[in-house]
Amino acid sequence: MPADRRGDLWFSLLLTALALAVVIESWRMPRLENLGVHPMSAPGLTPGVIGLVLLLLGLLLLVRSLRERRAAAARAAASAAPAAPAATAASGDGARALLATVLCLVYALGLLGRLPFFWATGLFVFAFVVAFALERPRPWRTLGGAAAMALFSAVSVTLLFERLFLVQLP
Amino acid sequence: MDGLSAFATAIAAFATPSSLFNIVWATLLGIAVGMMPGLTATLGVALMTTLTFRLAAGDAILILICTYVGAIYGGSRTAVLLNIPGTPANAASTLDGYPLARAGRAGEALGIATVGSFLGGLFGMLMLVLIAPELAEFGLRFQSFEFVWLAIFGVVIAGRITALDDPIKGWIAGFLGLLLAQVGQEGIHAHPRFSYGSTDLAGGLGLLPALVGAFGFAEILCVMKQANYETVRDAGRRILPRLRDITTRWWTVLRSSVFGTTMGIVPGVGEDMGAWVSYAAARRASREPQTFGKGNTEGLLAAETGNSAAVPGAIIPVLTLAVPGSAPAAVLLAAMFIHGVRPGPMIMIEFPNFVFEVAAMLFWASLAILVLGLALTRPMLHVLRVPREYLMPLVFVLCVVGSFAIASRVFDVWVMLGFGLLGFVLREMNYPMAPLVLGIVLGDLLDKNFRRAMVLSEGSLEPLFTRPISAVLALLTLAVVLWGIAPVRRGVAKLFGAGKS
Repeated sequence: MPADRRGDLWFSLLLTALALAVVIESWRMPRLENLGVHPMSAPGLTPGVIGLVLLLLGLLLLVRSLRERRAAAARAAASAAPAAPAATAASGDGARALLATVLCLVYALGLLGRLPFFWATGLFVFAFVVAFALERPRPWRTLGGAAAMALFSAVSVTLLFERLFLVQLP
Repeated sequence: MDGLSAFATAIAAFATPSSLFNIVWATLLGIAVGMMPGLTATLGVALMTTLTFRLAAGDAILILICTYVGAIYGGSRTAVLLNIPGTPANAASTLDGYPLARAGRAGEALGIATVGSFLGGLFGMLMLVLIAPELAEFGLRFQSFEFVWLAIFGVVIAGRITALDDPIKGWIAGFLGLLLAQVGQEGIHAHPRFSYGSTDLAGGLGLLPALVGAFGFAEILCVMKQANYETVRDAGRRILPRLRDITTRWWTVLRSSVFGTTMGIVPGVGEDMGAWVSYAAARRASREPQTFGKGNTEGLLAAETGNSAAVPGAIIPVLTLAVPGSAPAAVLLAAMFIHGVRPGPMIMIEFPNFVFEVAAMLFWASLAILVLGLALTRPMLHVLRVPREYLMPLVFVLCVVGSFAIASRVFDVWVMLGFGLLGFVLREMNYPMAPLVLGIVLGDLLDKNFRRAMVLSEGSLEPLFTRPISAVLALLTLAVVLWGIAPVRRGVAKLFGAGKS
């Protein structure tokens, strides 16, 4: 809960800033009078209105987060006990999410295009399985399983898409 | 009569070997996707759209509808056996399904869920046949002003209902979606917005890569984030439900079907609300409400009937107003455009038989889940034995290939990645995804119609509030917004409470 609310404060700041930028940018968009266009059909009209609504929502969220922060601080001061730190389970979650993100991004942005699809996919699947299966016992079995899955994925996706669905591969 | 004969003709038309083959494998795939936590119906339908777009329109949409129906049904397997809903639509099924499984009645529970889903799907399909032509007729009266309110109302109500305890977040997600849809060349003068010289951005953020990212990549990250979950439970001996369990509960089935279909029709609010509303109604109407949540078969029946009835319900506004009733329906909408079908109020004029063809597809898909669900549940459970670190990378590869496949643009892969990260972060902060998706779909509709409306009225906002249909939609929107403000809700409750006493 506390982390959630802290996120709200930062997000509301970000949202308010973004909304303001959108409104300004929409105002600056050309009205296209040189093309003889009706002023009410200017390209910046809709984004401007949406930006205004988001600005309002962002400010509401910001005010609410600040109020909650103040209330939480008052509660903490009253109870004179330090706020409990996030449990270690949460940091395990974060590490796993980060690992998965990094692996996926490396594959999509780094490997594809530089290696042939078959090898890029095989390498990615192998690395992914090994990285997460290390939590399990019996490492040799894991390596074997990872290699098998990598081969299966690379072969099946390549064949399925290039031959059956006739879809271009990255 | 004309409609019924068209419907019957369409059903017969799909009884060919090749169509039946497509129905079986697509439904099986849908069930498998629905069963596996981390794979949602939206992702399944989105990936299938990207893979099948070279097929003929009829075949492709048949496959998509079977995948959709199968996925919403498939999630009930894991909901009952593992207490983990395979898709969000099956969350209500865990409440009574899992206790039943723990009591050794897993097979019975699975059977009830199957029959309930079948009946719910059939009812929704009937509603589609009856309501869609009428709604399309009504939609012909919509002009720019009405479409503006339709888009705003859709986003507002989706934001309110999908974020019941925090509507501000639902509305932020919705309007963020509307904003993201403004990127690219706008639809009236082709002026590039927010593209800053990039030709890729001028083409806009593709809907399908965005959906695949928000429901695929984001979901993968959510799944991998958690520690491991337990392995499969045995399904027990009997998979067929007792006929008595269903026939004595026909009123529950009917009520859940009505609620489910209605929830499906409401824009952006889909199968999960169909299940929850039906479940809540069943509990309220029951003579033993305290048994709900402890293994009451009626609760399970209500939830599964409700979520399956919402599928045809969500397709009704897709066909008649080009407004999606749920996230997977949004993908279906995109797929129809890709295949040259133009959903909207003109559908009964331009493609009059299409509505009945879709109804026929729903019929066959519902039949498929009944047969496959009752016969193949035990073999299919083996799918769950695949550890997630084996499955998730394969899913990600499919997400990448699927995003790239549409237009062979690497930019689409970047959009997918971007929306995946955005979706993950938003989900972590409790923002609902459905309004975001709805916003992206409706953004263009809102933009074009708002500017057209302003041109027609010479900048005056008055017609938006004085035209009859617009006024009704405006009032509904205001009511939903006010209902989302806690002090207003409390005030109204006090008013009615004071009135009663």
